[in-house]
Amino acid sequence: MKLSDIMGHAGLSGYAEVALVLFLGVFVAVSVYTFLPGRGAQLDADARLPFDEPTPVGRPSPER
Amino acid sequence: MTPATSVATEGAAPRTFGVALDRFSYDDAIVRKFLFATFVWGVVGMVAGLLIALQLANPIFNLGLEWTSFGRLRPLHTNAVIFAFAGNAFFTGAYYSTQRLLKARMFSDALGNFHFWGWQAIIVSAALTLPFGFTQAKEYAELEWPIDIAIAVVWVAFAVNFFGTLVKRRERHIYVALWFYIASIVTVAILHIFNNLSVPADFLKSYSIYAGVQDAFMQWWYGHNAVAFFLTTPFLGLMYYFMPKAAEGPVFSYKLSILHFWSLVFMYIWAGPHHLHYTALPEWASTTGMLFSVMLWAPSWGGMINGLLTLRGAWHKVAQDPILKFFVVGVTAYGMSTFEGPMLSIKSVNALAHYTDWIIAHVHTGALGWNGFLTFGMVYWLLPRLFQAPVHSRKAMELHFWIASVGIVLYVVAIYSAGVTQGLMWRAFDETGRLAYPDFVETVLKLMPMYWMRVAGGTLYIAGMLLFGWNILMTWRARPARYDEPVVEAAPLAPRYTPPVVPVPAGAGLWARFAGAAWHRAWERAPLLFTVLTTVAVLVASLFEILPTFLIKSNVPTIASVKPYTPLELAGRDLYIAEGCFNCHSQMVRPFRYETERFGEYSKPGESVYDHPFLWGSRRIGPDLARVGGKYPDLWHVRHFQEPQAVVARSIMPTYRHFLTTPLDFDGIQARVDAMTMLGVPYGEAVRTAPAMARAQADAIGAAIVEQGGPAGLADKQVVAIIAYLQRLGRDIRLAAPATAAGPAARAGGAD
Repeated sequence: MKLSDIMGHAGLSGYAEVALVLFLGVFVAVSVYTFLPGRGAQLDADARLPFDEPTPVGRPSPER
Repeated sequence: MTPATSVATEGAAPRTFGVALDRFSYDDAIVRKFLFATFVWGVVGMVAGLLIALQLANPIFNLGLEWTSFGRLRPLHTNAVIFAFAGNAFFTGAYYSTQRLLKARMFSDALGNFHFWGWQAIIVSAALTLPFGFTQAKEYAELEWPIDIAIAVVWVAFAVNFFGTLVKRRERHIYVALWFYIASIVTVAILHIFNNLSVPADFLKSYSIYAGVQDAFMQWWYGHNAVAFFLTTPFLGLMYYFMPKAAEGPVFSYKLSILHFWSLVFMYIWAGPHHLHYTALPEWASTTGMLFSVMLWAPSWGGMINGLLTLRGAWHKVAQDPILKFFVVGVTAYGMSTFEGPMLSIKSVNALAHYTDWIIAHVHTGALGWNGFLTFGMVYWLLPRLFQAPVHSRKAMELHFWIASVGIVLYVVAIYSAGVTQGLMWRAFDETGRLAYPDFVETVLKLMPMYWMRVAGGTLYIAGMLLFGWNILMTWRARPARYDEPVVEAAPLAPRYTPPVVPVPAGAGLWARFAGAAWHRAWERAPLLFTVLTTVAVLVASLFEILPTFLIKSNVPTIASVKPYTPLELAGRDLYIAEGCFNCHSQMVRPFRYETERFGEYSKPGESVYDHPFLWGSRRIGPDLARVGGKYPDLWHVRHFQEPQAVVARSIMPTYRHFLTTPLDFDGIQARVDAMTMLGVPYGEAVRTAPAMARAQADAIGAAIVEQGGPAGLADKQVVAIIAYLQRLGRDIRLAAPATAAGPAARAGGAD
C-alpha cells in the first residue's frame, strides 16, 4: 500500500478550506491589533526610521 | 569581519547616557557593483526582448540559426530581466537600505562579494546554456540542475549576510522594508529548492521529479510566487525605504504597511493555481487559487495607496523631480497590474485571456512600469550618494522618464489589443456553428500591426535605458579620486531588552489581554522569530494546497491506455524541450467547445502522468499540440521543419532544418530512459535496450518518409525523434479503454 492510498482514504480534500479559515483568523488578529487605538505614537516613530541615520563623526549628516 | 570598532577600547570613548558608541562605516562599494550590474543586464535582457518581439513580427529575425530561434531566446529574455535586471536592482537597494536601517555595516564584505560575483556567474551561465537548448522547460526555472545548485549556494550566502547583519544591528525595531526583504529571501529559497527537484540524466539534462498535474501545480506555485517574492515583495521593501527618502517624509501609514505585509504573506502563496484554470487541475485547487487572488486586490491597492499618499504635501515636488515621477508611475503600475491580476484570475475572464498576449501585456505593465520605474527612481536617487557627485544630467533623467513612459503605453496598449483580439478570434463561431477562423494562422496574422507597435514601444524603452546608462557613466566619471567613507557612530543594542510593561489589570478579559499584549512588537523586534513565523505561514499554505494533489489519488484519475513514451519518443520530447517549443505551443485542450472543435478532445489529468516535466505551456503563439498525433503524415512534419512557410503560408514559425542534418545520439537515450525509470516510469525492457528500440522505430519512420515521397537518409537524424514524439501526442486516449478513476467519487474537476 502506498502513501497515496492511505491519504486517498483519509478524506483530507477539505484541508484547503480549513487552512483558509486558520489563515484568515491569524490575519484578522494581526489586522485588529495593528489598528488598535493607542499604537499611533509608536508606529509614527517606527515610520521615521529611514530618517534616523547616525551622524557621521565630525560633521553634520547630509541626509537631514 | 567589519571595520566597526567599539570606541570604548580607544581611550576617548564618546558616551551617550553611559553607553559606549560603536564607530563603523557602510559598505557602499558592494552597492555600486550591483548598480552597474543592474544596468548592464537590464540592457542585455531588454535587447533580447526586442529581438524576440521582432521575431514575432517577422520570422526573418530568427536569423535562420538554431541558437537564435524564439523558443531558445525567450527564456533568456525572461531570466535576464527577472533575475539579472530586477535581481541586481533588489540587491542594490537592499544592501544600501539594510545597512542604514539597522545602523550596521553588512555582516561580511567577503560574503557580499561572493554573492555579487556568484550571481553574475549564474547569469553568464544562463546566457551560455539557454541558447544551446539546455533547459528544464519550467517557466522562470529553466536553468539546469548544476546552475540551480549554484543559485541555492549563492542565495544562502546572501541570506547569511543579511541575517548576520540583522543579528549585529544597532536598531531594535526592524523597519517594515526589512520585513519584505526577509519574506523574499526565505520564500524564494523554498520555492527554488522544491520546484527544481530533479533527477539528472547527464551533466546538463535532468527530469523533474514531479509529473503531469503535480508538476504543473508545483511549477505554478513557484511561477506565481516568483512574481510575488522576487518581483513584488522585494520591490515593496525598496518602495517603503526609497520613496519616503526621496519624498523627504515618512510613509503615509505605517499601520497600512504592516497590514500590507501580512496580507501578502498570507495570501500570495495560495494564488498560483489561477495559472491553470480549466486545465486538468482539480477544480477545488483552481477555485482556491482564484479566491485568494481576488482577495489580494485589497492589500495590493492598500500598498499602492500607501505609496502614493507618501507624497502628500510633496506633489509640487513631483512636477519638478524626475525621481519622484519615476516612483509615482512605478507605484501606479503596481496598482494597475495588481488590479488586473485578480481580474485575470476570475475563471470567466481567464477563459478568454489564458494563452493569449493579454498575459504578456499584464506582466509588462508590472515589469516595465513597476520594477523598471522603481529601479530607475531608486538608482537616480542613489547616484549622487554612491558616486559622491551630482547626477550628470537632469534633463536626460526627464527625457528618460518621458520616452520610457510612452514606450510602456505603446507596448501594453498594443499587446492588450492583441490579446483580446486573439481570445475573441479563437472562440468565434459563424452563423452555421463552425469556427469563424478555423486556420490558426489567421488569428496570428491579425496581430501583426500590434506586434510592430510593440517593437516601437520596446525600442523607446530601450532608448531610455541607454540614456540611463549614459547618465550613470557620466556621473561615475565625475566621482572623487577616492570615495569618502564617513565613519558614523551608534549605540550597540543592550544585550538584554526589557520591553516597556503595559499594565493589564488583574481579572481583565481576553480582549484587554489581546490589546495590551505586546506580541506583535515582540515579533517586530525578534528577527529570528519573525523569520520563522513568515516561513511557517508560507510553508503551511503551500503544504495545505499542494499535498492533496500529490497524495490523494482521486485528484489524478489514471487512464489504462496511457503508456510511457518509447525511447525514441522520449528523445524527441527532449528535443521539443531543448528547442523551447512549449514557449509557443500549449499541450492542454480546455473543455470549451471552441477548443475541442479546433484541437480535439479536451485534455485529462491522467494523460500526463509520465510527463516529467509537464509541457502544458502557457501561451499559444502557434496552435495547441495535445492532439497533433496522426493529424499529418510524417513527411508533412519534415517539410514543416525544413521551411514552415512552405507548408503554412505566412506562418511565423522559425525553421528547424537542423533537425534534418543533425545526427541523433541514439546511445545517449539509455541514460535518459534510466533517469525516467528512477522516477518510477515503467519502462520495462527499454531499461536495457533503449538505443536498439529507438533505432528500430527510427528506421520505420525513415522508411515511411521515403514511402510518402520524402528524402532518404533521415532515419539517423534528429527529425525522426521529434516526429515520433509529435505523432504520439494525444493518441493514447484514442486507444479505447475508458478512464479508470480511483473511485466513484473521483472527479477531476474542471476538465472532467
